[in-house]
Amino acid sequence: MATGPLRFCTPHIDELPTTGSRQAPGFAWVAVSGAQDDPAKNWGTSNRKRARASLNGPTEQQKEALSARQQREVERKIRDLNSDNSKNASELAIPKKEGGAGASGAVRAGKTPNTKKILGSGKTFAHYLDDEEAEIARTGRRDVDVEVSTGVQRPSKTPIARRKTREDSSVSGSPAPVTPMAPPPWPRTAQALSYGEITNLDDVDDEGEDAVPPLPSEAQLEALLNAPPLTYGQARSRPPSSSAAPPRRFCETCGYWGRVRCMKCGAMTCSVTCKDDHDQFKCLKMYA
Amino acid sequence: MARQKPTTTTPLSSSAPAPNRTLILDNGAHTLKAGFSTPTTTDREPNAATDSHTIPNTIARSHRDKRTYIGPELADCADFGELAFRRPVERGYIVNWESEKAVWERSLFGFEGRGEGAVLACEPQETSLVLTEAPNAPAVLQRNADEMVFEEFGFGGLFRTTAPALCAYAPSPFPSTASSSPSGLPLECLLVIDAGHSHTTITPLYHGRPLHTACRRLEVGGKTITNQLKELISQRTFDVRREDWLVGEIKEDVCYVSQSFNQDLEKVWRGGRYDQRSSTNDGSSNNDIVVDYVLPDYETIKRGYPRPHDAGVNVRNRALGIGTGAGGRREHILTIGNERFVAPEILFTPSDIGMQSEGLCGTVLQALNTLPSAALREAFLANVVVVGGASLMPGLVGRLEAELRSTVDEAVLVRVARAGDPVKYAWLGGARMARNEEVMREVVVTRGEYFEQGDLWVRRKFAGKVGR
Repeated sequence: MATGPLRFCTPHIDELPTTGSRQAPGFAWVAVSGAQDDPAKNWGTSNRKRARASLNGPTEQQKEALSARQQREVERKIRDLNSDNSKNASELAIPKKEGGAGASGAVRAGKTPNTKKILGSGKTFAHYLDDEEAEIARTGRRDVDVEVSTGVQRPSKTPIARRKTREDSSVSGSPAPVTPMAPPPWPRTAQALSYGEITNLDDVDDEGEDAVPPLPSEAQLEALLNAPPLTYGQARSRPPSSSAAPPRRFCETCGYWGRVRCMKCGAMTCSVTCKDDHDQFKCLKMYA
Repeated sequence: MARQKPTTTTPLSSSAPAPNRTLILDNGAHTLKAGFSTPTTTDREPNAATDSHTIPNTIARSHRDKRTYIGPELADCADFGELAFRRPVERGYIVNWESEKAVWERSLFGFEGRGEGAVLACEPQETSLVLTEAPNAPAVLQRNADEMVFEEFGFGGLFRTTAPALCAYAPSPFPSTASSSPSGLPLECLLVIDAGHSHTTITPLYHGRPLHTACRRLEVGGKTITNQLKELISQRTFDVRREDWLVGEIKEDVCYVSQSFNQDLEKVWRGGRYDQRSSTNDGSSNNDIVVDYVLPDYETIKRGYPRPHDAGVNVRNRALGIGTGAGGRREHILTIGNERFVAPEILFTPSDIGMQSEGLCGTVLQALNTLPSAALREAFLANVVVVGGASLMPGLVGRLEAELRSTVDEAVLVRVARAGDPVKYAWLGGARMARNEEVMREVVVTRGEYFEQGDLWVRRKFAGKVGR
């Protein structure tokens, strides 16, 4: 007769007493390491109430996953905002010149093979940008920044007495042979060279602070000026730091601050009157 | 067909007339600014108003007229309604050379080079061209531009540069230094903020040469503001999505940058259900923000105009029979309230439309923080010049100065000025530079040199990497 955990009368099963067996409940609390708690696998729930009520809020991954569709929407809107041509502009063709002779056809197409190619290409700016990024990814630099390798470096034919020394030339690292006239590409005023004497950079005297910090040395300025131009992507303004204020949201209907979010489509409105208007005419539940 | 420089003594081959005239062409995305400048010092100073012409850089098709207007022909257009535009300049660079060639021919050369019907009659073989483009151009686009200028149009010489770099030669807009810079020499330190049609670029210039590591670009320009205004108006009152020209005019007439965004937004709020605020003209303070814009109908009213808001105007018009089609004069009115200052606000807060970048002030500080020395930063902050069409918006300069002032240390001097004529400022700089023969001789690449040295050498020369 079992007095242990077996509850039913089972004549063919005997429970052997062991040391340490005692009455224990038939279940135990176990820490469940399911998807909810493993942050690497938790993509979040699409139920907005549960997401809001979850303890720690959405993790970074959850935010990214949930807002991928929103990001696509936002990027499409920005691309539209920055689009030059009207939507029906692709059908704009250049009208043929009236009374053009047969020669005008050749003129239109371009005079040399290079220009024919340029005039005939239908590439947009996005294509050129992609091409340049592909080239940089492939070769690591652009051809403008590369030292000139074409052409033979002819030995200088100028007599030694007429050669200007390297220090006078303001172009550093240029492989072109130094010719007798090597003025700097841009004219300079005389005061550019006297760096040590610039003391009155600011018109206002700092109260009690140190003197005006000196300008950087000529070598540093040369390095700055001769740095290669940035690529299109490098010159773009950087996104704000994550500690900056979150983006401001405005009411869809009237433009005031957005204070109330529609549960169905996620758009913000400012007040009850605007929200009614949104629900009636603009809410996506009408279309979705 | 080598060209001879004006003052060298050894001719390369058979002599030919040297390019003694220079055509300064500021090739913007919205308009071209073109004019001649001669390097003789006896002429008077170039005057932007009389010497340069502003030509719309677009091809427009009107469905109502069934006509296509190219470039300067747009001035003949009578009906700007639903005009579809195609712009050869995309993001500041000439991408579509077919259209650009058509516009150049109409404006510079006339039909088939005969010079008739052109705004500026130009003989390319005898002219050097100073062409501007936006900074940080892809190399292929630079090469395309060089090839087109020399091989297709046949100019005698070319100097291709970025538009801000030319601004260093223009007269300084600051009153204290205006008199001290003679024509043809660049200013020493200048931070040029070019608020253009496609984007806004920030370029620090040292003696006319840009400091490349500190150049930045903000992808918000006049075009973005116009499109945002179109969206806002279309959502709230009237669908104007196909009316580029009209909304551009509305933007120029009524938009401004507010100095205190929160307060202005409060003033125009119509209030919630329990918190009604009045928006009628009873002398309250929001009266001056909300305007009625009378739309043009291109028959009686050729150009729209704003007037103060009148809430009862629609009722009155209906009572008087105006606008019903039975009476004589028709008048369509668009009421514009907070769109006036919310649309240009994206220049200072691009995150409002979801763009991941800092506003104008933040970008300026980003650019300056890449410079190693505090003295350089202060020098540039004291010489900030705002150029470009979008800077004509009232309040932009004041707002920029206030934001810079509040972010930067108190002891630093911050001077922000808008150029006298922001649209033509780069052209004026180019014209003044072209009058200095020495400078031109150093930087212009002649036709002979192009064919001899090749396009890579020419590109490196324009980037400042090759000495002569």
